[in-house]
Amino acid sequence: MERLYKKINVLLIVMIGFSWSCSDDFLVEEPTASLPSENVFESIQTASAALVGAYDALSSYTFEGLYWPIMSDLVGEDLMLVPGSGNWGWFVETYQLEVLPNYTWVDEPWWAAYKIIYDANQLVAFAKDIPDATDEQKKAIEGEGRVIRAYVMLKLAQMYAPAYHTNPDAPSIMNVSVPVDANAEDFPRATNREVYTQIESDLLTAIDKLGSYDDKGFFDKRAAQAILARAYLDMHEWEKASKMAQAAHEGIELMKREDYYGFFYRNSETIFTVAFNATDNNTYLTIPSFYWPEFGYSSVRANDEFVNKFASADYRKRFFLLYEDIDPDRNLVLKFEHNGQVGNAERISIRASEMYLIEAECEAELGNFSAAQDALWEIQERVSARTSKSTATGQDLINEVLLERRKELFGEGFRWNDIKRRSLPFVREGDHWAKWNFTASDEDYFRLTFPIPQSEIDANPQINEEDQNVGY
Amino acid sequence: MKKLLSIVLLSFMIMGSVVAQSMKVEGKVIEKATGESLPGVNLFIEGTQVGTITNIDGFYSLEVPSGDVTLVYSFIGMQTVKEVVRDRTVINVALAPESEQLEDVMVVAYGTTTKEAYTGAAQVVESEIIEDRPVTSFEKALQGTTAGLQVSSSSGQPGSTATVRIRGIGSLSANSSPLYVVDGVPMAGSLSDLNPNDIESLTVLKDAAAASLYGSRAANGVIMVTTKKGKAGKTSISFNSQVGISSRVGDGYDLMNSSQIYEQTWMGLYNWALYQDKQTIEEAIVYAQDNVKETVGFNPFGVDSPLDDNGKVIPGSKVLTDTDWRDEVYKTGIIQNYNLNVAGGTESTKVYFSLGYFNDSGTTIGSDFTRYSAKLNVRHKVNDWIEAGMSNHLSYTETNAPPGGGAGANPVRSAEIINSASPVYNPDGTFNWKNKAAFDFNPVGLYEYDIYEYKTKRSLLNAYLNFKLLPSLSFRTTGGIDYSGDKGLNYYNPYHGNGAGVNGRSTIASTENVNWNISNILIWKKQTNNSSIEVLAGQEATGNDYEVLQGAVTDFSVFDMPDLVWGGTPVMPVSYSTGWTMVSYLSQGKWNYKGKYNLSASVRGDGSSRFGEKNKYGLFYSVGGGWHLTKEEWMPKLSWLNYAKLRASYGTSGNSSIGNYESYGLYGSGANYSGYPGLTPVQLENQEIRWEKNAALNVGLEATLFKRLDASFEWFTRKSEDLLFDKPLSASKGFPSIKTNLAKMQNTGIEATLSYGVVRSKDFNYDVSLNISKYRNEILEMTTDEIKSGTKLIEEGASLYQFFMREWAGVNPDNGKPMWYTNVASDDESNSTEPGSAYLDPLGSGKQVTSEYSDAERVRLGLAIPDFYGGLSNSFNYKNIDFSFYFYFSVGGKVYNNDYAVNMHDGTNPGYNLAVDAANAWTPNNRYTDVPRYMVDGSDNGEEISSRYLEDASYLRLKNISIGYNLPQNICEKIKMSGLRVFASGENIWTLSKFKGFDPEGALNGTTANSIPGVKVFTFGLKVDL
Repeated sequence: MERLYKKINVLLIVMIGFSWSCSDDFLVEEPTASLPSENVFESIQTASAALVGAYDALSSYTFEGLYWPIMSDLVGEDLMLVPGSGNWGWFVETYQLEVLPNYTWVDEPWWAAYKIIYDANQLVAFAKDIPDATDEQKKAIEGEGRVIRAYVMLKLAQMYAPAYHTNPDAPSIMNVSVPVDANAEDFPRATNREVYTQIESDLLTAIDKLGSYDDKGFFDKRAAQAILARAYLDMHEWEKASKMAQAAHEGIELMKREDYYGFFYRNSETIFTVAFNATDNNTYLTIPSFYWPEFGYSSVRANDEFVNKFASADYRKRFFLLYEDIDPDRNLVLKFEHNGQVGNAERISIRASEMYLIEAECEAELGNFSAAQDALWEIQERVSARTSKSTATGQDLINEVLLERRKELFGEGFRWNDIKRRSLPFVREGDHWAKWNFTASDEDYFRLTFPIPQSEIDANPQINEEDQNVGY
Repeated sequence: MKKLLSIVLLSFMIMGSVVAQSMKVEGKVIEKATGESLPGVNLFIEGTQVGTITNIDGFYSLEVPSGDVTLVYSFIGMQTVKEVVRDRTVINVALAPESEQLEDVMVVAYGTTTKEAYTGAAQVVESEIIEDRPVTSFEKALQGTTAGLQVSSSSGQPGSTATVRIRGIGSLSANSSPLYVVDGVPMAGSLSDLNPNDIESLTVLKDAAAASLYGSRAANGVIMVTTKKGKAGKTSISFNSQVGISSRVGDGYDLMNSSQIYEQTWMGLYNWALYQDKQTIEEAIVYAQDNVKETVGFNPFGVDSPLDDNGKVIPGSKVLTDTDWRDEVYKTGIIQNYNLNVAGGTESTKVYFSLGYFNDSGTTIGSDFTRYSAKLNVRHKVNDWIEAGMSNHLSYTETNAPPGGGAGANPVRSAEIINSASPVYNPDGTFNWKNKAAFDFNPVGLYEYDIYEYKTKRSLLNAYLNFKLLPSLSFRTTGGIDYSGDKGLNYYNPYHGNGAGVNGRSTIASTENVNWNISNILIWKKQTNNSSIEVLAGQEATGNDYEVLQGAVTDFSVFDMPDLVWGGTPVMPVSYSTGWTMVSYLSQGKWNYKGKYNLSASVRGDGSSRFGEKNKYGLFYSVGGGWHLTKEEWMPKLSWLNYAKLRASYGTSGNSSIGNYESYGLYGSGANYSGYPGLTPVQLENQEIRWEKNAALNVGLEATLFKRLDASFEWFTRKSEDLLFDKPLSASKGFPSIKTNLAKMQNTGIEATLSYGVVRSKDFNYDVSLNISKYRNEILEMTTDEIKSGTKLIEEGASLYQFFMREWAGVNPDNGKPMWYTNVASDDESNSTEPGSAYLDPLGSGKQVTSEYSDAERVRLGLAIPDFYGGLSNSFNYKNIDFSFYFYFSVGGKVYNNDYAVNMHDGTNPGYNLAVDAANAWTPNNRYTDVPRYMVDGSDNGEEISSRYLEDASYLRLKNISIGYNLPQNICEKIKMSGLRVFASGENIWTLSKFKGFDPEGALNGTTANSIPGVKVFTFGLKVDL
């Protein structure tokens, strides 16, 4: 019995050594490398970082960094991809106008965009509750959040919905403007009108809340005005668009002829740029990688008919080059350069020239031909596109403005929507290798609207095959 | 502490008193059957530590205190004999074998049992199956050995481990791998760190009665790994060396040579100009001639215009370049395996020690694996009631593993897609980087310049103390640490490939993974005349810490120096740690009545840090019973039925294999922009997340017939509930999916194992064994109706891994366009009207087809899961020669051959190489074919996902064949050895399959992903026992 007693003593010693207090604390493991969401808006420091994160999401190559701007010109008449193996398969079906709902080109920008909207929704909803933020800081976070949201929604609507002016009640994109949790009811396609109303209201609120920034890598009041001008242009609200465009370019000095090559760093007329830098860029998945004839994919070419539209004195004509060693057949594009290393270049998303062109177009539509001619002359004069101010009026003037837009803004992501928002015919001639020729009344016009991605239809009970865009 | 000291002192005193007076006893120990002397027999005075061992001739002599003591003679594999000394001074003993009893002892959850008394479904795999196989990790040797166990290797990368599933697929998105328990302690790191030659046996725990005691980690079964132990007796030293060669398991489909790809590309350009660009035939010929070189990338011929106006090579054109990229990427591997084992000990202290070296130079450039391992197992009887032991495993591995999948630097992918007109080297001997398939990636050049190196230090340390408190009560406390330290180095050279854009990049990541485990188990056993009862109760705590530290630099000032000091620009460094903890209480009871009836029951409660506040705890239980029919009195004694047992069990278990912080809504770092630090949402909040539950029912019958035939049949059904599943979300939720406990799934199956001793004689034995398994996987419930993704459809009532895609209808003979059946009746889209593009199948199926890909609806097209699979083994022994071979078979089940699809691209990837099959493309002169017209940049969509690339993955494989010769004992003795064996073996050397790729064995989900193909291996080995 004594022996047993000893055994039990030994056992107790061992058990004390190995026993663990199994309180609830033992079963709580908190992440150390990520931050619980509810803590993010508890200080201005983390909330500001969340705002930076939303810009980072915007800069993704699947959205503003590459996909959106490059596809917006490939669905157009002025640029193309080199045919054959030289295009490495990138964006080919987009250029061919042969996309399907399950294609990467359709799928990725949609998902990237809604992630940015998700991020922005948190900023807009929670900015006002940040305990240690000043009123100015709260306004900035909410205001920039709203601009980010509006900017992304406008681009989404332009890609995935029929043009606003053709049918304001047509099904557009999902209008998600509040933070939602995973179990919340899904969103159907809103109408164009609802989407543009949301964009307008976000931007008007932002214009009210935001001031002017020196750092053009972030959206400020002027950027909000510029984006609103674009939205009004889609809506054919010429007067409002013109007013916003004027407000956006007021006081900005356009690039002079001698520095008219700055499309890889911030130039004097930049209103908003995606601020890539040497350590933070998408390397090969960037605009210069695809456009510049060396060091990257280098697969974008300019259409010969388009190049011929430039007057020989036009300073912008030197952006094109026929260089046999690289491509014996097609014009290279020299507008978007690398800045020291592959992919290091800012992507200028909004600049003042576009605002002058919006003003010119709207004033021409409103019959204020002289004002339109003046605005147009600002663009033309400095690049010697013409020797004297245009005297055209009416539709001729509008056509001239539209042609000037093509020349001024090619490669910057406008042509696709410029065709769509005015229901222009789509005509590819010359050395295009995927030729099309159709007008707004032709069945093929559906090709200017992307399908809703298959992944969205598969996951969202509110959007079914019946809700798919015409033609897909 | 004082008490402990007194006990230690007490022990010394007892020992001291024993040696006080003495008399001498001597004698010889022989084997009863043969009369041969037995060296190394352990004998000791009962109740003491005093003893000795017989010498080489079986003799012993021992001082004993008096004639009253009892001597105990024991030898492994022999029955123990006890002799009271009385007044004898010479005691000769004959020992008889104890074979039956030993065979049946099996290691199970938290203890051992006998096969007869066991109520669960489990199978033991002995070391003979695992030893001497040229595999890097033991689980690969298990394929085909055990019913219900599915082992599938999706990569031939040396050191990569196989996917293992026990009784179907238990989970949708959480881990479905079984739990591995090494010497009683669950392990965390890689299986390939263990030396298979150190393994004594494996027990595969299949049903609830067997596995439920592991609670929340048992849902997918458990594999118990028992390592070798020392034995009392003569120290045995064994040296084993093995050398072999390995090569790709299959040849796969042929790829085009440079003339073929040049001709095919010409055709593709011509077709584009003619059909797409509406040029005239003459213009199209000119277009094709002008562009063929640029499209292929190179003119592989010695003349400028090698093709005639029909696009055929002009006879006499000399081919200068014809690269077989597969030859460049694949090579013959060398496998070397050396092991030194030392085992021995006394009755009180037993030691096993081993050193191992394994090297596989790999079959693909840039891939290899080296393992250095050491093992030390020690058991020591501290006194008559305390035993202490340690089981230590140390290893160091070095792996080189190039990236896989779609990465540009994946050599396997490069070998398939870079066309044969592209040279490896430029005329000046430098590497050529200008191929048209993988921009700036030359696999041979990257092998020279880039580094993908991983080094792992692993230590698996388990220690235990066993206290025999009373004859009926024992207590065991075990502590284990499983540590893996990994260092990974990825270096991209500054000039080409991944590093070119940033002038070189080097990333070094260091991870440390520590898993700790402590368990305290009390076991009470009571034996009466008619029955025995055993009760186990215990507590366990487990935790894990995982730490990562990573640094990277770009912009290198020197070439080929990967260390971070050489980089000019630092990349954001990374460090983080994660962890989890678990606390458990467990209990089990076993009852045996007259050897006829066995009952068992277990219960375990687990609490885990991985789950949200609401769902931290889980309770799991099992009940099982066994009934020996042949032991019933009423059962007639049939000469043909020697043994029959019926088993049944039911129980629950869980699966907690998910991320550590899944319940939190999280923001992550690194979303930096314009030089400012940024945060971004990375995970949605999910407080509802809870354990996956698994309920399993098993019925089994075991029998021995005619004394020769062992048969076992099992029927099981596993119902898994609350399965964690990535529910796809609408983009509006910000994330593509969220983990939810939304599915129910069931696996129902049967297993049969038959072993027959065909011939049993003195000199010749022949055994054959067959196992076969079949299971059906069915999703019972989901909260979403269906989930379509890629090639699959997940829906209620169907199996996971169900293929869902457009159905290929062949090629329209009139225009060469691809056709798919419209299948409007399919529920893929709700309307059932034929699309405008539909037309009657010109090939005469009578069905409607379309050449517009998007107009065809997707249909269900079978499963990736095989209908049944199993193994058939044959082993022969003739005198000193043994010969064995076994087959593995997998019948039914499909695979979507992504790799083949890439090589049959119909012109959409014009710079990529093609399978030779692509030459059969439609032309006006070749109208009836299954390959559409070949058109550069075509938009016919024939290469999109459809049943065109869906193949039958059935196969029969000669998994292992081996022959060995043991030098006869008398010769061994002459050369002072206890044994010498020479052997040769072949692994995977023959495969029968219709599959077009390299290897029909692949990922369980039935898709290929440019992985390093499996290998076949021939080895030759020598084993010397001293």
